[in-house]
Amino acid sequence: MARLIRTEKEVEGRYTEQWVVVEEDALEQWPEGPLHTVGRPAPRVDGLARARGEARYTQDLRLPGMLRTAVLRSPHARARVKRIDLGPAREAPGVRGVIGPGDLETLTNEPNYEGQAVAAVAADTIEDARAAVGLIGVEWEVLDPLLDAHVALERESFVAEPRRYERGDVEQGFAEADAVVEAEYRTQSVLHNALETHQTACEWEGDTLVVYTSTQFLWGVRDEVAAEFELPKDKVRVICRFMGGGFGAKGSAGDYTFIAAELARVTGRPVHCRLDRREENVNSGNRNPTIQKLRLGARADGTLTAIAGEYLCLLGWDGWLSPTAGPAQMLYACDNVATVEYGVRLNAPPMDAFRAPGFVEGTFGLECALDELAAKLDLDPLELRRRNHADHDPMDERPFSGKQLMECYRRAEKAWARRDEVRARSEGPWRRGVGIATQLWYGGGGPPSYAWVRLSGDGLITVVTAMQDIGTGTRTAMAQIAAEELGVPLERVTVELGDTAHGPYAVVSGGSSTTPSMGPAVRAAAADVARQIREISAQRFHVEERVLSLSDGRIVSADGGSWPLEEITGLLEDGQILGTGARGPNPAGMRVMTYGIQVAEVAVDVETGEVVVERIYAVHDIGRVINPLGAESQIEGGIIQAIGHSLSEQRLLDPRTGAVLTRTLDAYKLPTIADVPEIVSELIDVPDAHLTNLGSKGLGEPPIIPTAAAIANAIRDATGADVRSLPITRDELLQALREAARRERKLEQVGAPSA
Amino acid sequence: MELLRPDSPEAAAAALGNGSVALAGGTEVVPLLRDGILHADRLVEVREVLPRGVEGTAVGAATTLAELEVDPGIPQALREACALAASPQLRSMGTIGGNLLQATRCWYWRLKFPCYLHGGEECHAKAGQHREHAIFGNERCASAHPSDPAAALVALGARIRTSARELAVADLYRLPTDDNREVTTLEPGELILELDVPSPEASVYLKAMDRRKYSFALVGVAAARFADRVRLGLAGVAPVPWALDSADALEAATPLPGTAYKVDIARALIRRAVEAVGAADAAAT
Repeated sequence: MARLIRTEKEVEGRYTEQWVVVEEDALEQWPEGPLHTVGRPAPRVDGLARARGEARYTQDLRLPGMLRTAVLRSPHARARVKRIDLGPAREAPGVRGVIGPGDLETLTNEPNYEGQAVAAVAADTIEDARAAVGLIGVEWEVLDPLLDAHVALERESFVAEPRRYERGDVEQGFAEADAVVEAEYRTQSVLHNALETHQTACEWEGDTLVVYTSTQFLWGVRDEVAAEFELPKDKVRVICRFMGGGFGAKGSAGDYTFIAAELARVTGRPVHCRLDRREENVNSGNRNPTIQKLRLGARADGTLTAIAGEYLCLLGWDGWLSPTAGPAQMLYACDNVATVEYGVRLNAPPMDAFRAPGFVEGTFGLECALDELAAKLDLDPLELRRRNHADHDPMDERPFSGKQLMECYRRAEKAWARRDEVRARSEGPWRRGVGIATQLWYGGGGPPSYAWVRLSGDGLITVVTAMQDIGTGTRTAMAQIAAEELGVPLERVTVELGDTAHGPYAVVSGGSSTTPSMGPAVRAAAADVARQIREISAQRFHVEERVLSLSDGRIVSADGGSWPLEEITGLLEDGQILGTGARGPNPAGMRVMTYGIQVAEVAVDVETGEVVVERIYAVHDIGRVINPLGAESQIEGGIIQAIGHSLSEQRLLDPRTGAVLTRTLDAYKLPTIADVPEIVSELIDVPDAHLTNLGSKGLGEPPIIPTAAAIANAIRDATGADVRSLPITRDELLQALREAARRERKLEQVGAPSA
Repeated sequence: MELLRPDSPEAAAAALGNGSVALAGGTEVVPLLRDGILHADRLVEVREVLPRGVEGTAVGAATTLAELEVDPGIPQALREACALAASPQLRSMGTIGGNLLQATRCWYWRLKFPCYLHGGEECHAKAGQHREHAIFGNERCASAHPSDPAAALVALGARIRTSARELAVADLYRLPTDDNREVTTLEPGELILELDVPSPEASVYLKAMDRRKYSFALVGVAAARFADRVRLGLAGVAPVPWALDSADALEAATPLPGTAYKVDIARALIRRAVEAVGAADAAAT
């Protein structure tokens, strides 16, 4: 029965209360461990189409008569348009439409960061459009940009109100501590750089606006576009069948979508607006830099007595305050915690979600500080983490729904035990060491999300849902779930997704929520079909329904009889069996999180500052694993992206003008395949008994979270240097080594007289 | 824009200048044209008419980096410098002649800030972001020269034959001055035809990068030993390829606050390079 409930909804740590209608989740979870299809490695169902170039991305669209767009973006970080003349652009060859400030809310005449959109041109070719943008005459009044974090803090220039959290009494906690560490940690701005840049093509079909876009959230784009153009929501149709990556930055419509839609309206033609790689590196969102002042106190036995953290999150002009203090608040059992997070507004491009926003940054600071504390207490870092394990959510005493972190620690022991052998391989200027770091993150998903399943006369199964596959292998996982429930081989299942006009509402592909939100809905829809097959079969074969089950493409009776599925479906000829399914509610009063630990082995050339990550061991707990092969890919992808974040990637701004200096991929240094270490991954694969009919959580984000701290801790283990700032480039590391040497000398001087 | 296809080096040289720009591999000229940093009315395709390949100590200007990196007749320092440059795709297109003429990666220059090198008054890198920038010759412009092969050729004492003259590789370069912001001495109508690369007793090229492959040198060090004498050439440390006599010469470096670390890296790499060419006794470290 449909049930109306008030429920807590979480996306990347942002909780909202909302009404949802949910179906009772009447299905029992499957037993633990690999089943017929679920829990077994499955190559991507769309792998060949992608590899052969048959998969059609937004980038590949060639709609008849489609125009191309170039955008005039502010060359200044803060300025005012005193005068703008769009006339010459309108007269330029090939130009079909020009829009400027006043035509759309997203086009401004008071830009507050470099790259903010001011005007746009639609033309027959991209060359014509670019040439026309060059003809737009603008008289700028250039204003002084606010770029310094501390000045901004003084002026209380904030995007969001400062967020304060406190439990217990931290000063009391520090008074009880036998050891206290205090340090400042910094993380840089990094860029998503998905292979497919942000882009949208829009076309009006009668009174319906069709939006082809590279997005993580079809329905979110629908809602935003409908609001902007004052259309009924279902008069906006959003399509994304294949996308070339998002990593968090494609969760909303973006200026390019509004520009394409407006130019399509003005010109009456389909219009494509695509960021080029340089615009992508300036203007498509970023992981915001942070400055974290942390103070940790513990008793001699390692029990944490206090955690205090002040976080400056340099959001740029806009964005939101991601849960940067989350790890300090939730990762460990500690009675006394006080944090404050400032969302600082600067004249810099706005942040956007980037794979575990907040927790990546906050975990770096916390997990580095914890290792410094371990050193001070002379405790084993892994043991220190175990001793502070949180058995329930330390923020509100809620029980955790399924937590296998202690099992992760146990399995990590063998990787951790390699450290003596790794250190012993140091030679010459190359020092080797091992470091660990723990991770927690959300990833439980939630309602609403729906799926339909169709079984046709030839026995083939189609899952229909208007979700998107961000590139993580969602199609494959959903096909596996339907195949499992219906007892058919994976090849019989097709997943149709990516079109709001063709299927029911589905969740955002973000916050590690796709599989835990959609999977249970797909299973419920498949179960609906399975139930109907059993009912029909019982009548056809004159057996009791309760003795029937589906397996290996057959209808199997406990009495011994079995019939191919086609005997029932064939009977119906063009008739179909249709099932619907909805995501049930999350377990009330419980906290649903994901967990993991990584162990990094590094080699450091102490003379030249080179860091080579040689091996990463990762073990994660995400409940039941649907596709171990896809899960392994997620872990590897997260770690590789984290290696870039740790060692080489940084967006640089000119400190005087606020210009983004690293706009091309030679200046913005992503890791290459040569930078990728041996990656050994494990998954606990125990279903979360309280969570949905699957017991599965998401894995998109967890693997990127602990890597940077594990690498920094390994560098300390190898060299004694405290690296507290990302990325750990050669200049950063050589500086840290110099400071470590200075500290060492000081210690020797102090120690000498008594020795 | 027009594309000219001359049928001889002489015709190519004659077609240059006056709005005509030579095009060989195109890996540098094309991006510079696209960014509006380089302007050309005509491109003169020189790749087909320039000498290509290795004969004794002579290396044709149109020889690609990919060809050089595997040629056993080429000194190790040059082979390694080619192999460590760019990516396989770029090395298959890029020619040694063009490589010597590539422009700095300074982000301010590439983004067309009105900087000293572009004819302006100030070097924006000095007051701005400059971790990739120079530690020598940076009084006016702190840009760093990106060519790995050029550093190797400086260490090897290679010579260049152009359509107009013959000169040492080191003499191809000049620091920008108030009245001339060019960093090469090549005249507008002048075309590099061939290099003469002497064979040392031993040579090596070591390169420090921000990642393990496909990155411009933070510091590149080439060392070549001829009898008892070791010559050094450095990439990434000055607006032009930089010759040093010994590691001691690093004392004369003038690093910016953000490039001091390059002196440490250069010191370590010079010591290793000198050891590698078998002159440990003579090492001036």
